[in-house]
Amino acid sequence: MTTRKLLLATAALASVACAAHADTSGKKIALSNNYAGNSWRQAMLQSWDKVTKQAVADGVVAAADAFTTAENQATEQAAQIQNMILQGYDAIVVNAASPTALNGAIKEACDAGIVVVSFDGIVDEPCAWRVAVDFKGMGKSEIEYLKGALPDGGNLLEIRGLAGVFVDDAISAGINEGVAENPQFKNVGAVHGDWAQDVAQKAVAGILPSLPEIAAVVTQGGDGYGAAQAFAAAGRPTPIIIMGNRQDELKWWKEQKDANGYKTMSVSIAPGVSTLAFWVAQQILDGKEVPKDLTVPFLRIDQDTLEANLANTPEGGVANVEYSQEDAIKVIEGTK
Amino acid sequence: MNALNRLLSRPWLWSFAAALAVWIATVAVTAGASSGGLTDAALTFAAFSVFVGIGQMFVITLGPGNVDLSVPANMTLAGTVALKLMDTQDSMILPGILVTLLVGLCIGLANYALIKALRIPPIIATLSTSFIIQSAAIWTNRGLRIKPPPVLADFATSSTFFVPNMALLALLVSVLAWVLLNHTIFGRWIAAIGQSMPAARMAGVPVDGTRLATYVLCAILAAVNGFLLSCFSGGAALNMGNEYLLMSIAVVVIGGSAVAGGDSNVPGIWGASLLMFLIVSMLNTYQFEAGYRLIMTGLIIIAVILVASGRQARPR
Repeated sequence: MTTRKLLLATAALASVACAAHADTSGKKIALSNNYAGNSWRQAMLQSWDKVTKQAVADGVVAAADAFTTAENQATEQAAQIQNMILQGYDAIVVNAASPTALNGAIKEACDAGIVVVSFDGIVDEPCAWRVAVDFKGMGKSEIEYLKGALPDGGNLLEIRGLAGVFVDDAISAGINEGVAENPQFKNVGAVHGDWAQDVAQKAVAGILPSLPEIAAVVTQGGDGYGAAQAFAAAGRPTPIIIMGNRQDELKWWKEQKDANGYKTMSVSIAPGVSTLAFWVAQQILDGKEVPKDLTVPFLRIDQDTLEANLANTPEGGVANVEYSQEDAIKVIEGTK
Repeated sequence: MNALNRLLSRPWLWSFAAALAVWIATVAVTAGASSGGLTDAALTFAAFSVFVGIGQMFVITLGPGNVDLSVPANMTLAGTVALKLMDTQDSMILPGILVTLLVGLCIGLANYALIKALRIPPIIATLSTSFIIQSAAIWTNRGLRIKPPPVLADFATSSTFFVPNMALLALLVSVLAWVLLNHTIFGRWIAAIGQSMPAARMAGVPVDGTRLATYVLCAILAAVNGFLLSCFSGGAALNMGNEYLLMSIAVVVIGGSAVAGGDSNVPGIWGASLLMFLIVSMLNTYQFEAGYRLIMTGLIIIAVILVASGRQARPR
């Protein structure tokens, strides 16, 4: 009698434990990251660390190790992925150095039965999943905002990112499509700021003396504060500068807002997108049906949400959102 | 006539001539209205290239194979560590400057220790230290941007008698470097080593001490540049040194110093630094696509070097 009760209790406990622990508790996930040399990537790695550590502690997965290559080279990252195949990971989450150059290594991983989820820097190998950002839509949203803020239109200065990177082309295409649809705006100059404040500051300082009055500066993130500095140094009135969610940009915006009611908006990708990719990989390992192409929402900050976001952003860091399993399920369901 | 010939044979003349031509082409767009603003910006940003350019020039003068690739990582580490230490406090400026110099000193010593003790070629040695330094910078502050103390930020972004403070500082360093190179025994030693290390050794030049001092000098100038740039642009960033690696080498070459070592000049660094900033400004002003912009930059640099070296070859 007692033995049967004990057995029953054990069975009940075991079933509860099984319900709480998904089928992925024995699975190992690796992050293959190509670059760590800026604040966005650092925040991305920290978010990964925080969320996956909790997931491992909760027994959702067995391991979630992050690896970053030293030189931001596709060949180096391909070798890294081949090592991960040999180490027996069940899924590889990858932020790729190139959309095409890793395809060979990615295919090898797929053939070995490994789930590959690419995000941010996505890959075009069909066997991999892609958690992509609608960069073009992000660029266009800047012009949509300016349409409301500047009904009369005006001259725009465009700060682009790193020449030759597809993200730069996509955001710029969105911006220019928006400008083409709204003839009240005129793009009078474009410089490359390499997504870095000091490079943007230098480039803007160089072109600014030759430009007519600028109504707004459209940007790609990481360059807004540098642009503001350059306008101030040249003694020109500050235009509407679209920000990119960096803490120094938000802080500058807050100071201007308090001093003279300055209005703008800020848009970028939350570095925590790495955690969304993690949960997507976990869902696929769990046997869920997941479409190959998913889109991440971008993180937008407006006049009324500025204070809350600024308070949540670490000094000198990037505004961030970490995603949960439920968020991933929602994104997957929304795409189906 | 003789004087004119002597002037034309100066290798640094051509970088200045090119910079002036580009400046004129740029201000022509606005019929001269932009001349003040452009000059101001050019002097300010050229200053940062001058600091690293002078350091690199000393190293390159040491002869074939001598180059310091740790400049960008060095700038990042010095800026990061100093701004973190100062933590926006005006009272901490002096410790901030001292720690910057210390960072430069340590990196210079480490570089030469690898080159000398382990007999690693300078390119490989400084590249490996740059990985360690960059990792140390990431580890120090994980890429967070701390603002400079207000007094320093004001100083870095303002002007004295219409000349940007950064340009004045760079000018001071340039004059010191010129005296060091042309009017001290140390400068002669560097040139001698660059022309022939065995001959210099036979002649009793303290080769190791001179090379050590040169690598340390270059590292300290790079560290100071990182410190000033982060004060100027509102904080240190992990990727802030990136463009200064090729820049530091380019300004030396365009300025008319011999890449093979043994012969260098300080004024050319200024001409080349101004040219490098103004080319980008001009091509941006004329709204060239990024691809064409890089091609044009390359062509202009090649043209300047060709003209300069052609002129230099004959009088010798």
